[in-house]
Amino acid sequence: MRTDAFPTDVYRRIEALLASPTYGLDPDDHQERLLAVLQSQLAYATERNAQLERYVRAWPIDYRMASQIADLPFLPVGAFKADPPLALVPRESITRTLASSATTGQRPSRVALDAETSKRMVKGVTTIIRDFIGSKRRPYLVIDTPEALGGQMELGARGAAIQGLRPFATEVVCCLRHGASGTLEIDADKLRDFAFRWAQADVLVYGFTYVIWQHFVLALRAKGVALDLPNARVLHSGGWKRLLDQAVTREAYASGVAAVFGCAPTNVLDFYGMVENVGIVYPDCERGNKHVPAFGHVIVRDPLTLRPVEPGQQGLVQVCSALPTSFPGFLVLTDDIAEVIGADGCGCGRRGIHFRFVKRVPKTEMRGCGNLESARQRPATFPVADG
Amino acid sequence: MVDLLQSLDSPQQVAMTAQRLRERALGLETTPAQVIDALARWGESLVGPAFDAIPGSPFLKLWLRRGTLEPIVARELGPNALNGMWHDERAARIRTFPVGLVGHWPAGNIEIQPLLSMSCALLGGNACLVRVPSGLVAQTRTLIERLSETDSARLLAERIALVAFDHDRMDLQRAMASAVDGAMIWGGDEAVTQIRALPFPHWARVAVFGPRLSVAAMDGQSWSGGPDRETWCLRIARDVWQFDQQACSSPQVLFLERHPAGDVGEFAAMLAAAFREENRLHPRRDIHPALVSAICLSRASWLLNDGGHRAIFPQAPDWTILVGEGAAIPAPTQGRTLSVLLVDSLFDPIAKFDGTVQTLGLAVRDGTKEAQLAHAAGRNGVDRIVKLGRMHTFGSPWDGMDLIRPMVRLVRHVPSGE
Repeated sequence: MRTDAFPTDVYRRIEALLASPTYGLDPDDHQERLLAVLQSQLAYATERNAQLERYVRAWPIDYRMASQIADLPFLPVGAFKADPPLALVPRESITRTLASSATTGQRPSRVALDAETSKRMVKGVTTIIRDFIGSKRRPYLVIDTPEALGGQMELGARGAAIQGLRPFATEVVCCLRHGASGTLEIDADKLRDFAFRWAQADVLVYGFTYVIWQHFVLALRAKGVALDLPNARVLHSGGWKRLLDQAVTREAYASGVAAVFGCAPTNVLDFYGMVENVGIVYPDCERGNKHVPAFGHVIVRDPLTLRPVEPGQQGLVQVCSALPTSFPGFLVLTDDIAEVIGADGCGCGRRGIHFRFVKRVPKTEMRGCGNLESARQRPATFPVADG
Repeated sequence: MVDLLQSLDSPQQVAMTAQRLRERALGLETTPAQVIDALARWGESLVGPAFDAIPGSPFLKLWLRRGTLEPIVARELGPNALNGMWHDERAARIRTFPVGLVGHWPAGNIEIQPLLSMSCALLGGNACLVRVPSGLVAQTRTLIERLSETDSARLLAERIALVAFDHDRMDLQRAMASAVDGAMIWGGDEAVTQIRALPFPHWARVAVFGPRLSVAAMDGQSWSGGPDRETWCLRIARDVWQFDQQACSSPQVLFLERHPAGDVGEFAAMLAAAFREENRLHPRRDIHPALVSAICLSRASWLLNDGGHRAIFPQAPDWTILVGEGAAIPAPTQGRTLSVLLVDSLFDPIAKFDGTVQTLGLAVRDGTKEAQLAHAAGRNGVDRIVKLGRMHTFGSPWDGMDLIRPMVRLVRHVPSGE
């Protein structure tokens, strides 16, 4: 792997995007600036990774000739399950590995971060969250265990999300712990102390969507406890599947969480994100839409053609980011389905494409005669009598 | 016109339908020749754009021809079976009789399979209760409506019922299983296992056509040069396109035997042209997003995992050709994703077959060598060895089994006067 430094002019252009109005760029200008950065990143990446170069070369459109981001070669999210993780920097430059939360039996995605990408990741998340909750630092209640903060070298998705909000914190309190049976339970002393000290103050709360509901809201409800934190801003992320299985709608969720904290449901903010798209999260705006920042983009692709869909249509989500330089996470096709609400002009004032997450791609239910789900247990050859 | 395809909603309805069919099947004897007449008339009527749009309809028409069915009946049931005659076997006489009512559980991915399966049992003189998978109801109805028109004497119509109900309605599945005397079960691992576990009567005959995959192979001479190469590529494309490469008879990998004059890049480009053309003629109308993810991942993984790999694909998930070397069958992606692997000898991959491979499609110039390959493949679990371009042509035996005989009883009469 080549180890020469990332071109300075591209660094500058990434920094310029990070410094641009987060949601204020004209869509055409945004497309043009981001396309140029992504093309440079592809050139850099393909020089350093021969396998990636082969993939990019096989792409039907030469990325150097592309006139839109949608034409650039993307990697499917499953490619990040490779072991060792796909990297564009030498092993000794990797300071941290982020791992996705994989369901049982699945291999998680892992992305390799160097110091530069880590810094940009923090900057990216901070820039985005600031646009939604302001830049003020405040007490930070984490609805998770201290262990979820993770070790230094490898960090899970929950830990990464928790860490991503640390720049907004004056202090961090984790209010869950593992009970005797290993299940999560509320650390009542810590929670009581936090709520007492910061009643009426602006506080930041974060947890995984399901963890907040199952191990915090339902637990407090069962005890008839409501907190007095009317100025809490509750951020949550992670899958909705288990909640939808329990018939918990987004509205019911926001109301339930708000009731427990004693705040308004509008203070409860859902955001979408993934470790492969480091440094970018997609909180809901007040109109219920998700937006892309200046240093990223989202393309929703028609599964039949993989071309971008029009507003009002649904498709597979591709996330794009100018931030990573330690791994090839610039253009990632996810396993999620979203609907494009509009190409520009959301009522919240943020510019550019806005969309809504719909669901994870459901597993295909193939019951066909060509669908081998388990290997046959049969000898390779059968003995036959001679003659 | 009578609607032969109905939705059922209660176990009682299933039982009543089964009872009605059983009475008719046992009350009215038919010969295979009569059934073939009716099937052939039906097959000839399946002409027009509505039928052409149904994947596999050319195979169904080919199957229903008299010239196809008569030899199969003669081979499976005996020389005099066409007219329902007894035939002598030493001191005894032999004749086939139907088992009674046969239940059919076809796979959900092959549009014509409910009717193919049904026709096999009808040829044995049985009545048929066919569960049509929910995704195939419209196509099956289009095809079966013509039978209502061509079978004016209601020879077949009186002895068939096609029923639609949700796969998860286990009460209906159980009612259907307990009402039949025989079962023809087709499909994937999970589906087959689930159906086999239903409460069939102890006397029920059960024929299972479980999940398999298929492989194509070309010897060095066939792919490295000569005027036939383009034709072979078109045949491979046709085999890949049919049933969207999700049938047990769909080739998932093409093995090319190394040849000094062979340029695999050139051949892959030729194959890509054939895929483009097949895609132009038969574009997809929809695709499951999970399959799109799988196709995109197979492209990326193939190129990221091995320095020797190459690939050709359009931006859309229409088709994918993955080029490399090696005798092992890669995990199938389906969705028109063909691995093209160079091997030193075609015997190398065949030696690795483990019983999973159903069909081996071949393009081999030397007949002697082909016979040796067929023998080796047969020893290693392959049930069909056919020419490329004909991998889906339905025929008997299928999966190493007769298609009609499993659902008949062979009755032996030793005359008392001898």
